[in-house]
Amino acid sequence: MMEPIPTVLVVDDSPTVRKIVQMTLQREHIRVITAGDGLSALTSVADEMPALILLDIQLPRMDGYTICQIVRKNLQFRAIPIIMLSGKDGLFDKMRGRLAGSTEYLTKPFDSVELVQTVKKHLAGWQQRMPAQQYEGMRTRLRRRG
Amino acid sequence: MESQDLIMDGDLQTLGLQSILKMLALSGKTGTLFIQSGRETLSISLRKGQIVSLREEGVNQPDLLTMLCLMNRLDPQRAQAVREVAQGNMQVALPFLVEQRLMAPAEMQQRLEFAITQSISHALRWVNGRFSFHRRVVAMEGRMQPLDVDSVLLEALRQADEWEEMPDTSLTRATMARWLPEVSNDVRSLGLSQDHIDVLCLANGEVPLQAMAMALMLPEARIARILARLFELRLVEMVDTALEGELQQDLTNIIIMSQHTLAQQRQNSAPDQHLLGLIKTLSQCINGLLIHHGMYAKALRGRGQLPVADIVSYLEKRFAGSLQLMATQQFPILETASFVNGQLDCSEIFNLDHLVRGEQLEEFYWEAVRGLAVFLRTVFTTLLNDEVGNSYTGRQLNVVWKAFLTEVDQEIQQYQIYRAGQHTQNARNRFNDAAYRGDANWKGAAQKDGTPLWSSEWQRRSI
Repeated sequence: MMEPIPTVLVVDDSPTVRKIVQMTLQREHIRVITAGDGLSALTSVADEMPALILLDIQLPRMDGYTICQIVRKNLQFRAIPIIMLSGKDGLFDKMRGRLAGSTEYLTKPFDSVELVQTVKKHLAGWQQRMPAQQYEGMRTRLRRRG
Repeated sequence: MESQDLIMDGDLQTLGLQSILKMLALSGKTGTLFIQSGRETLSISLRKGQIVSLREEGVNQPDLLTMLCLMNRLDPQRAQAVREVAQGNMQVALPFLVEQRLMAPAEMQQRLEFAITQSISHALRWVNGRFSFHRRVVAMEGRMQPLDVDSVLLEALRQADEWEEMPDTSLTRATMARWLPEVSNDVRSLGLSQDHIDVLCLANGEVPLQAMAMALMLPEARIARILARLFELRLVEMVDTALEGELQQDLTNIIIMSQHTLAQQRQNSAPDQHLLGLIKTLSQCINGLLIHHGMYAKALRGRGQLPVADIVSYLEKRFAGSLQLMATQQFPILETASFVNGQLDCSEIFNLDHLVRGEQLEEFYWEAVRGLAVFLRTVFTTLLNDEVGNSYTGRQLNVVWKAFLTEVDQEIQQYQIYRAGQHTQNARNRFNDAAYRGDANWKGAAQKDGTPLWSSEWQRRSI
């Protein structure tokens, strides 16, 4: 029987970054969904319930800090690890990210190996974090598929 | 290894592997010879001038047990049991198979001899590297009959020559071939020999050339020829997963870095600074790609650690021509850019502001941006085609690359829009001035340099 694979949501306004992260994580057998702006990101969180979010700060329509705060305030999604992915590497930016509720902060330009390591670190035990009902639902879907 | 055990050491360019081995054999030495090139190391243990064992480090060693399973010589469960005992060491695994009566002792000896010949043949092709001979024999488990250096060298040299004579240099020991999914013909109709069919059976995209050679006990160069033929017949495609993974990671990092620089230069509000930022981003990206190609170009693979001069000369031969052609035909500003140590030197373009100012500076910068953007495309296309071709990795990298180029194009377009707006504004101002002065002949209005305001040349330049 197939085991469920984790889904990572990548939120970045740069199509290059989205594609690169997608390609890199797919090689590690991680499912990747992407969003180019803040509002689409929130829609994806609600629809797909990702196991982890990689979030840029400067985004059209809603910035990364706000998205982070919204996710953290929601009971259903608050356990999702959020890794901030930003070109801002100042202490103030990192502090602001932490205050908004991010789990970790990766500075651009990031190394693809570092990215994979960080994502894997935070994906450990993702099935336990998932609400039991949703996890069972996913297993049932997979069982049906084969 | 303790330094007091060291008997001699040196450079492979001064004394080649062949001479060292012959010398040690003739003087009946006992000890271990280490040969290192790049990240690969070979340790050959000698007793009284005869080879008693050999070990390769720094590269993934083929798993003979998996090969035997694929060839239906061993069942996977038994293979797993042997694997647990041997822990990846073929010199332990083979005697264990003999003990279990899964292999004849003669075959074990033949396989060990064959593996040693292959490794030495591979090391004979190393151009650069170091060697050292140490007095003590490193304890390496094995039940092989000692081998005569002369006969091993003779066969290894013959095989190394065979490699050198290969017309297609892109194949390496790590090359993997994958059966092409679109093949539907009956391969028997192609008149393939038994060796070809055996190789084809192992071409599952996971078995490297070196492992195929080990399993079928055919020299690596012979396997390479067979693979080249199967490739010609469009029965297989080549995959070097380890190398592809490595080069994909390296290229990805270059694109991430370039995208980051591109995003940072967006903060420049002055148009000339915006253009200069683009020039710096593009040249940085080109140089990143050139460094990358110096490490992964097909023509430079499988030759150990190469002298920097060889890499520089290869890169210049490959790319300087197209840069020159672009400079003479389309973008004369690129004449000021040159290749220095295998890198594109754009310092004259960066320092243009010391020579010209204002509109003229912007003109030069604009031409440089367009020229470098075209050259960047050329470099990437050539590089990707050479390194991975139309493989899965190649197709994925192309998608990422196109995304990055779209971002570069958007930056260029943004400046084009600004430029068009500026020209329209200037034209309107000039027209208004002329009308105000009562100059009815507006069609004859000319720019300061005498060219007509809406001449075809002016229009071409403003688009």
